[in-house]
Amino acid sequence: MQKLTYVIRDTFLNIRRNPLLVIATVLAIFVSCFLAFVTLTGQAVVEENTSRWQNGVHVVVFLDDRVTTTAHKQLQESLESYSEVREVKYFSKEQAKEEFILLFQNQQELIDEVDFSILPSSLRVNLHDPSNYTLIIERLDGNPAVREIRASGEAIERLLMMTSTLAVAASSFSIVIAFAAFILIGNTIRLTTFAKREEIEIMKLVGASSLYIRLPFIFEALLEALIGSIIAVGLGFGLINYLSESFFADSIFIIQISDAYLLQLTLIIFVASIFFGLVSSYLGTRKLVNE
Amino acid sequence: MINFKDISLVFEGGSVALSNINVEIQDGEFVYLIGPSGSGKTSFLRIIYRDLIPTNGEAEVTGTNINSLSSWRVPLLRRKLGIVMQEPKLLKNRTVTENISFAMEVLGFTPNEINTQVRQLLSLVDLESEAYKYPEQISSGQQTRVAIARALASKPLILLCDEPTGNLDPNLSSNIVVLLEKINRAGTTVVMATHDSGIVNRRKKRIIELDSGKIVRDEDRGRYTLTGGL
Repeated sequence: MQKLTYVIRDTFLNIRRNPLLVIATVLAIFVSCFLAFVTLTGQAVVEENTSRWQNGVHVVVFLDDRVTTTAHKQLQESLESYSEVREVKYFSKEQAKEEFILLFQNQQELIDEVDFSILPSSLRVNLHDPSNYTLIIERLDGNPAVREIRASGEAIERLLMMTSTLAVAASSFSIVIAFAAFILIGNTIRLTTFAKREEIEIMKLVGASSLYIRLPFIFEALLEALIGSIIAVGLGFGLINYLSESFFADSIFIIQISDAYLLQLTLIIFVASIFFGLVSSYLGTRKLVNE
Repeated sequence: MINFKDISLVFEGGSVALSNINVEIQDGEFVYLIGPSGSGKTSFLRIIYRDLIPTNGEAEVTGTNINSLSSWRVPLLRRKLGIVMQEPKLLKNRTVTENISFAMEVLGFTPNEINTQVRQLLSLVDLESEAYKYPEQISSGQQTRVAIARALASKPLILLCDEPTGNLDPNLSSNIVVLLEKINRAGTTVVMATHDSGIVNRRKKRIIELDSGKIVRDEDRGRYTLTGGL
């Protein structure tokens, strides 16, 4: 108990000795953890949204209304026969009108001015694999019953590519910051051990164990890592709450992440930062014990 | 208590610090380790507290084999030893009392034990009136006394002193030696390295003289007991 009291007291004395370096270390850990948190939650949000979109309509085939409904029926049957197609739904002109009114219900002027007869009927196609939308476009190329084809796959692909590029960039940056934090912890320990070199020498002479000499430094690094990661996770949660209640929530993007995922992510960040603190302080004090 | 069998110590680069040392120091003995600078006195002591490992031979201290002692067990050995260097190495920002209690704090003594022991030690080294002074406010001789008190804080079996009188005038040196003999009479084995043969010759204690890493004299109250090394 006496030893623990001494270790804890010494930990805070060490922190008081180099406050600026301690703040720099906490900031570096905070930035690194925050980037990791935001990147991983961001990725989860994008995946959730893209999978929602992928479960919807992938290709919309607008039909030429000058062609007979029999031709439309034949086109639907041939689409349904393709192995990559899961489902095809016919969407009549009347349904297109209802959808338009629903989508623009807040813009009565627009609704009043639109000539609904120009809205075409369409076939809405859901694919097993959304990336196969190009095959459908190729197969329907030149079909007289088709007026225009729109595919969501291209937009989803672009969004996924953009988010994965962003995720890679943010992760790389997070690793660079983590490395900086690693060096900062090492430097803080080195400075503190230099300031305490006489004390440490006496401790060794009187028979204090290596672990006991190291513990204040290890506690210091753990404390810095924990403070940095707690601020990062707290701010991350704040950001999620803010975004889910902001204009973003009204857009097509849904900011919704399961509690289980957030809890898991929080635990991972805490455990990683504790491990990080342990390793950096262990390596930082290795020389001290071996000298 | 301390048993050196054919101990040799060769540093990297080939310089020989100790060569074929055979020595046995019994419980409660007072031994002066003498010799000129570079004769191997400090290396001799550093092997005892396992700061150095002999390159040849076997060393045993308080029943512990130094050669095979793993690093993590070194602190356990050092808790049985008290070590005093030529420089007292006192913590400048702590008072005399705090310097002594520091050694006990890191070894996990309770505040009550620390208070009692520190009072006794201050009385032993005759520094009660300087208890709350800082190292800079006391003399060199008093600083050495604080270092001795600190070394005794863990109630060691052996007190190792490496030139504790090196920076002191003859009068103060004599006082330190008297203090060490007093500690020895209380039962602690004392090994004191010094190059000051003047001090040693006045005391009737065992003398081990080293020269170029070899024992050239091992004499107890005039009785020649050299066991090898010449």
